[in-house]
Amino acid sequence: MKEFFKNTWKNRAHVVLALPAFLIMLLFAYVPMFGLIIAFKRYEMAGGILHSPWNFPENFKMLIQSKDKFLNITVNTLKFYLIFTLLGTFLNIVLAICIDQFAFKNAGRTMQTIMIIPVFISYAAVQFIAYAFLSSDTGIINNDILPLFGLPSMQFYRKAQYWTVILTVINIWHGVGYGSVLYMSVLAGIDQELYEAAKIDGANKWQQIMNITIPMLIPMITVMLLLSVGGIMRSDTGLFYTVTRNNGLLYPTTQTIDAFVLNAIFNNSNYGFTAATTFYQSVVGLLMMLLSNGIVRKLAPENALF
Amino acid sequence: MAKEKMVTTDPEILKMAKKHKRPGFGQYVLYFILLLYTLFCFLPFLLVVIAAFTKESSISKNGFSYFPEEWSTDGIMAVLRYGKQLAYSYGITIFITVVGTFTGLMVMSAFAYAISRRDFKLRKFLNVFLIIPMLFQGGQLSAYIIFTGAYHLKDSLLLLILPICVSTMNVIILRTYINNSIPNELNEAAKIDGAGDYRTYFQITLPLMKPSLAAVGFMMATGYWNEWQNALLYIDTAWKKPLQLLLISIQKTIEFLMNSKDVPAQVLQEMGGKLPAQSATMATVLVVVGPILVVYPFFQKYFIKGLTVGSVKG
Repeated sequence: MKEFFKNTWKNRAHVVLALPAFLIMLLFAYVPMFGLIIAFKRYEMAGGILHSPWNFPENFKMLIQSKDKFLNITVNTLKFYLIFTLLGTFLNIVLAICIDQFAFKNAGRTMQTIMIIPVFISYAAVQFIAYAFLSSDTGIINNDILPLFGLPSMQFYRKAQYWTVILTVINIWHGVGYGSVLYMSVLAGIDQELYEAAKIDGANKWQQIMNITIPMLIPMITVMLLLSVGGIMRSDTGLFYTVTRNNGLLYPTTQTIDAFVLNAIFNNSNYGFTAATTFYQSVVGLLMMLLSNGIVRKLAPENALF
Repeated sequence: MAKEKMVTTDPEILKMAKKHKRPGFGQYVLYFILLLYTLFCFLPFLLVVIAAFTKESSISKNGFSYFPEEWSTDGIMAVLRYGKQLAYSYGITIFITVVGTFTGLMVMSAFAYAISRRDFKLRKFLNVFLIIPMLFQGGQLSAYIIFTGAYHLKDSLLLLILPICVSTMNVIILRTYINNSIPNELNEAAKIDGAGDYRTYFQITLPLMKPSLAAVGFMMATGYWNEWQNALLYIDTAWKKPLQLLLISIQKTIEFLMNSKDVPAQVLQEMGGKLPAQSATMATVLVVVGPILVVYPFFQKYFIKGLTVGSVKG
């Protein structure tokens, strides 16, 4: 113990360097964690979190009673997490390999520059682009594309069933170009001699990719998937609140937990139910993370996060 | 492995291998596919540019189009009519982007440096402290109540800067870069030459971190530039509204106007006597996303070099 303090004193400069980030995390990440105890309280504006009276398990009872809403937002959150993560990761890797294998290097670089652009367009702006395509009277799809195939017009902003596909397409458009960059950085580090050697051994392009490229990418894929599991109960409100224009008709397929919570905050309503929801959201996220990290630690300890 | 390596150094075979590299049919198929995907990425953005310069009557008559009937600069002119509010919003967005990115980079790289020192015993605790927020978060409601109720920061620009200033992921990226690309011998040498801990950090490590600072910094800047949710939650005063919140206000106004039969005269007056037109809205979008797209190509080269995620364990 004494030695520990001695070491810390000797390294006091490092303590000072770490302090600002430490304080910011403490105030803006850790304190809200303890704020989750409002899930066990009846929130009163005047008392704040600390002085509001306890009412466990009232809030959680409400959660179970309104099971339709609760189930709906949970299912939507998980649905989009799975689609975005699986399809997204797959496309990130495919794109990274395609660009890496592409022989026309200059054209490849230019194309990659363009493919990354969408990630810099905020969802607050994307909603207007989506509207220009999807609107029933001025949208490109209804005015130009559907008539081309003799199809009747579609009321996108009134029918919930289209939105699983729409949001998936928007998410891919927005993130895949940028997402592939991380994998490209791994591909750039692969020793080219491996490929040469495989070629001489008679391996074709496909075999080279399956036997050299993919195995090299596995550690990065594991890390990225593990990192994403912690956010399994979270979702980008930019997509689910802004791009859907928080449209009640679309809630059945598009409202996620985070979009629901955001609405509850704006409407100043039902804090008990909302608090229980966020508590459940955080705990499930934590458990999923620990579980998947545990599995990875069993299977491939070197790829585990902790 | 050793045998294969020997074979590839043979110049004859290397030449053959090079010949093999001449683009075959497959490469042209790949070219076509990548080109299609590039268009898929680019065309929606192109529509913003075209719509911003389309005459309003063309849009209301024929809808949005890549080949508008009539062009016009009315949309862009209408954006300039937002005048003061647009200027304020630009100022606020630039302010939070610059201050936020700079603060974030400074505090995160210092933290990353501290926890990369092997002889620093406290680093184990700091490592765990860093990882926990990635596993467990308080969530939006709790954050909202605490930031407004306990910290009394409602309507404060600090809430646009501090909550997204330090992120576990970015610290890990910076620490990975220190561990992989900055030889510890440099620090040792500096120490032997009599440099203190601060001096070693500020004059040796920090300058060498440039590539990862550029990559992380650019992503942070984009995050700040595009931030809308905290603004929507916390900012009330008009002059404090960042650009993204301005976009959302425009959409809400359109919706409100479309849903209410008689538009209040005061609102109409605020909008310059007209409903915010489609082309003007697109022109606003263009003005909001434009600057990032102009700056981004200059930072792209750092993306692959500076963005490597190593082990979280450290």
